[in-house]
Amino acid sequence: MRNQKTLMWTVMYAVLCLLAAMWIYPIVIAFVESFKVGGAGNYEAVLNHPRFDYWSAIGNSFLLAGGSTVVIVIISSLAGFAFARMRFRGRNFLYRALLACMAIPVASVVTPLFATMNDLGLRDSYVGVIIPLVAFNVLVMLLLMKNHFDGIPQELVEAATIDGARPIGVFTKIFLPLSGPVLANVSVLSFVYCWNEYLLPNLLLSSESKFPVTAAVALLQYERMSQEQIGQLYAGLILMTIPSVIVYLFSQRYLQSGLTAGAVKS
Amino acid sequence: MRQFGGRWAPYLYVAPIVVLAGALLYYTVGFAVWASLTDWNGLTRMEFIGVENYERLFADRTFYIALRNTLVFMVATVFLQTVLGLLIAVIAKERMPGANFFKAIFFLPIAMAPAIIATVFKYMFEANYGSLNETLRALGLLGEDDSILWLGADLGVWSIVVINVFAWMGFSMMVYFSGLMSIPDELYEASSLDGAGWWRRLFSITVPSLKGTTGVLILLGIVGSLKTFDTVWLTTQGGPGVSTHFLSTFLYQERLNRDAGYSSAIGIFILVAAFVLSLIQTRVSSREK
Repeated sequence: MRNQKTLMWTVMYAVLCLLAAMWIYPIVIAFVESFKVGGAGNYEAVLNHPRFDYWSAIGNSFLLAGGSTVVIVIISSLAGFAFARMRFRGRNFLYRALLACMAIPVASVVTPLFATMNDLGLRDSYVGVIIPLVAFNVLVMLLLMKNHFDGIPQELVEAATIDGARPIGVFTKIFLPLSGPVLANVSVLSFVYCWNEYLLPNLLLSSESKFPVTAAVALLQYERMSQEQIGQLYAGLILMTIPSVIVYLFSQRYLQSGLTAGAVKS
Repeated sequence: MRQFGGRWAPYLYVAPIVVLAGALLYYTVGFAVWASLTDWNGLTRMEFIGVENYERLFADRTFYIALRNTLVFMVATVFLQTVLGLLIAVIAKERMPGANFFKAIFFLPIAMAPAIIATVFKYMFEANYGSLNETLRALGLLGEDDSILWLGADLGVWSIVVINVFAWMGFSMMVYFSGLMSIPDELYEASSLDGAGWWRRLFSITVPSLKGTTGVLILLGIVGSLKTFDTVWLTTQGGPGVSTHFLSTFLYQERLNRDAGYSSAIGIFILVAAFVLSLIQTRVSSREK
């Protein structure tokens, strides 16, 4: 029995190590390549690049992802509260009509979206990217918020209404304080999704000074690249990943539970 | 439940999301339907031409290449992500030392932008001086003057599959892992007493108990395949020629060609497919409850 267990663990470790090696390989390659030709100077060169401004790309990403996250959290919790606990005409219809939009792939409507943002005078502006970022990401969050609010005991609501609390008071004094972990899930997920979005900023922004990291990657690439330029590109990619890794380290738990909840409940 | 919030207040709570998300998305989709029936350059000059774009689409060779690539990608990524995700989750549940470390490695790419992952792989896969071929040459697995065209017409789609599995397998692993946690230990204890071995338990208890999770992961993977754009656009851009186009990149290429009406028709095709698939997903997941 003992031997069998040892054998089993050896096989399992072997499988894990083999797979882990495949997952670590690209990361190691990126590090090695970023130093191979040009050494640490590549990092310096990227930080003083004529076209690519590292700090502004990071700042733009924080602005777009952070701004979208704030809007998503506010509007999805307000609507989730109403859909879970208020009665009104057209409630189910509205809720279903909203959730149906979760299936829309961004790519399928790019040109109409571009034209609409252009007509609204929002092309090449931060707001013009935040609005579609919110639209395409908020509905999953609405689902998570409503499912959570559904589970809050009705007695709490009744006790408060008897005491004369208004709906907004029930929302801010009872529902929100009981929603810490869900709000954390929704915030972290929204932030990561919006930070990682590639198509929307590329479609809607034209000034390079407004590019977030996903769009700024293009500024480090040319038709024909020297080994040194490739080293600089890798250095830039690593530098641009650092904020994601920091966010990941601080929010791993919420990211995991949020993703899992989103998958199981949708 | 009692009336709560009066007659009009509820609408104030839902108004922001209805306007920002609902109205914008429905307007855009309606616009796309209309645009797909026109000859349009993307900004001005829009001329109604009926279903001509769709006739052209179903006769277009590139459309079938893109459709085939999207389907190959769909089947391959869903298969690899679920099988590897389940395998690692099952191993990690044995709670051997270091299991959490391995889980963290596989989950890490979820936090990285796909655009950055794709760019790293693009240069790694490059045929002449790319690191993967260099590594294979150093190991003697590839001749000094040989190169494998990882992003060429034959292998391109498979390389894109590899990138996607790298980026998303950790997600399946995590979802499976939390599913495993909800299988009662008594089930395993009872079958151990019956003398069932590890493999028997895997296929008679674990896999059947996770049927619902597997269903959800498969459908999320399928819908995700239709949404895949950045990984393809940033590596092969659909090339060489049109050999590695996906539906989404084919659409984007036509948009860049100022053929926005035609591009919108491709969009409507993707949209209909996504809606049908997510209807199936809703059916399956509500049956699981």
